[in-house]
Amino acid sequence: MKWSLTHGFTMTHSVSSDTRGRPSFLAEQSNLIGLAAIIILFWILFTSLAPGFVSSFNLFALSRSLAVDVVIGFSTMVVLATGGMNLAIGSIGVCAVMASGYLMQTIGLPIPVAMALALLLGAFLGWLNGFVIVRSGVNSFIITLASASLFLGGMLILSKAQTFNALPPEIAAFGRMRWGFVSPLLFIALGIGAALIVLFRFTALGREILAAGANARAAELSGVPVGRAIIIAHTLSGALAASAGLMLVIRLGAAMPSIGQDWLLPSFLAPVLGGTLLAGGYVSVVGTILGAFLVTTIRSGLLVMQIGNFWLQLFLGLILLAAVMLDRYRSIYAERRSLGRKDAGRRSSGRRA
Amino acid sequence: MSTTTRNMTLGQRFLANEWSALAVAIVIGLVTLAVLSPAFLTEFNLYVMLRSFCVVLIVAFAQMLTLAVGQMNLSVGALGGLVAITVGGMMEKWGFPVPVAILCGLAIGAAGGLINGLLTVRTGINGFIITLATASAFTGINLGITESIPFYNLPASFVAFGTGRFYALPYLLLPPVLIAIALAFFLARTVPGRQLLAVGGNPQAAELSGIPRDRVIVMAHTLSGLLAGAAAILAVAQLGSAQPTIGVDWLLMSFAAPIIGGAALTGGHISVAATALAVVLIVIIQNGMVLAKVDPYWVQFLLGALILAAVGLNRLRAVRAGGA
Repeated sequence: MKWSLTHGFTMTHSVSSDTRGRPSFLAEQSNLIGLAAIIILFWILFTSLAPGFVSSFNLFALSRSLAVDVVIGFSTMVVLATGGMNLAIGSIGVCAVMASGYLMQTIGLPIPVAMALALLLGAFLGWLNGFVIVRSGVNSFIITLASASLFLGGMLILSKAQTFNALPPEIAAFGRMRWGFVSPLLFIALGIGAALIVLFRFTALGREILAAGANARAAELSGVPVGRAIIIAHTLSGALAASAGLMLVIRLGAAMPSIGQDWLLPSFLAPVLGGTLLAGGYVSVVGTILGAFLVTTIRSGLLVMQIGNFWLQLFLGLILLAAVMLDRYRSIYAERRSLGRKDAGRRSSGRRA
Repeated sequence: MSTTTRNMTLGQRFLANEWSALAVAIVIGLVTLAVLSPAFLTEFNLYVMLRSFCVVLIVAFAQMLTLAVGQMNLSVGALGGLVAITVGGMMEKWGFPVPVAILCGLAIGAAGGLINGLLTVRTGINGFIITLATASAFTGINLGITESIPFYNLPASFVAFGTGRFYALPYLLLPPVLIAIALAFFLARTVPGRQLLAVGGNPQAAELSGIPRDRVIVMAHTLSGLLAGAAAILAVAQLGSAQPTIGVDWLLMSFAAPIIGGAALTGGHISVAATALAVVLIVIIQNGMVLAKVDPYWVQFLLGALILAAVGLNRLRAVRAGGA
């Protein structure tokens, strides 16, 4: 059975004994359309309740935080593709942030060189995660929980938690730059998304990563270098976390040690809302962008309506719950409907993601 | 199995034990600190150490119970924060008597855990995502109610319990010790406790032998919430005020202790004693850092290193046991 793919990237079902459900083409489309509908609904709601929501100032601010949220989501997404997790995203991000601050302010390196080195550091820390996970065979949750603490601790020891706020003025100028209503940062984020689409749809490497996540044993037996795929996914995740951190540096015009501490929830919100499976083997780049868009919309809307930061956490939690439950019931419903048509027995067995 | 145990010397048997490395590390730590720092063995320092042991131990137990059934509870800290401020609010704003406030707090903790459990079981969604979401919701309620302002004016008797001591023994130590004993008894000797471990060890086998799997998972989450609530109440007593920030730094610790104590994420494998020893080790390290006047950031760093070392050691032992 093969499914033609447009937005989602699923491994073809050569391993049919695997009962973990992956969304079919239609379910995937309906997920994205549903998500887009919810986003539009919130936009109408916020615009009618608080006209300031669509002011050019707010749209610009929204585009900047959207860019960061999207990249944070990607960073988790590429690891979820392998069926693993990366809890160290915030820590890797802040390490890259502080490294870039140090390189620009204290050493005085040119901006592009400093940024490139910071990205390399992020990739290296991600590689370290992947290497230890593959070599030890220990669950990625534990390894990245520990390394998150290790990286954050190391960063604080080295930097003494000092903010770098005398960065070259070009950084802040770039952060204030507007293309129409939006920040160029958003285009960078979307560019990264396009690259990820190419990676997962058209390259052997992307398929290997997904295969490793879908069914590691089967992938191994059919010659996929699973260990290498996992390490590369973590390296990529580290580089993406570093990019998100650098975007924040550009936005804030300073390198702060507090960056990244609140990334855990949004990093999972975006891909999970977008339909990426925790079990691995399936990612949705467009879904992750939409998921991040929903989160940013709600955050910005609540801020404009001055409900404030205090209740925001509650809303985000409830929305995540509602979204995953909705998705659950929709896929169960879709499954029931399709039972009569094809391979009833195989897919009816209970799934627990 | 029994013959190999019989043929081993006492020393070998000790080394084969899961928590042997922990015990050795604790002894080394104690001796080193006692030799290097004259302040270490003073009555006051021991009291300080034992006091910081209390909350962490119960937090670790809260996570341990969800790990036992192969689940996780990312909301321990958030739920703890919520219980802390409701207990504080009940005592300060509504003037509830202390026991009533404590019972209400525990009930809220258990209810939060129950919600986690029911959502996980009914929807079949990964507990990680469910508790990540509920954690955000609990934190949101906490911040929404308090707007980040703590409750300071708590009943004197309650605060006195938090600071009182008998020589080096803080009164605060009493609840954790009772909870540890009750938990060990529960897991070793009672039917629900055995069911909990059975479901974690092999869900299919447990289900086939008639154990209500879903109910056991809900129970584990409820107990986890209850313990998170208990830890929060202790934290309020310890601090003398109900801070909305109670619990924000529990997550790492809650996983660190059971994992260092040898718990497997897949479930069915936990130990009350090993978890408690892991907490002792963490507290000793933290105390040693304070005495050595090291940058407090080193604690964060070392905790991560400690988890990795423990996981590596357990892995090594498993590989060796497999090869033998």
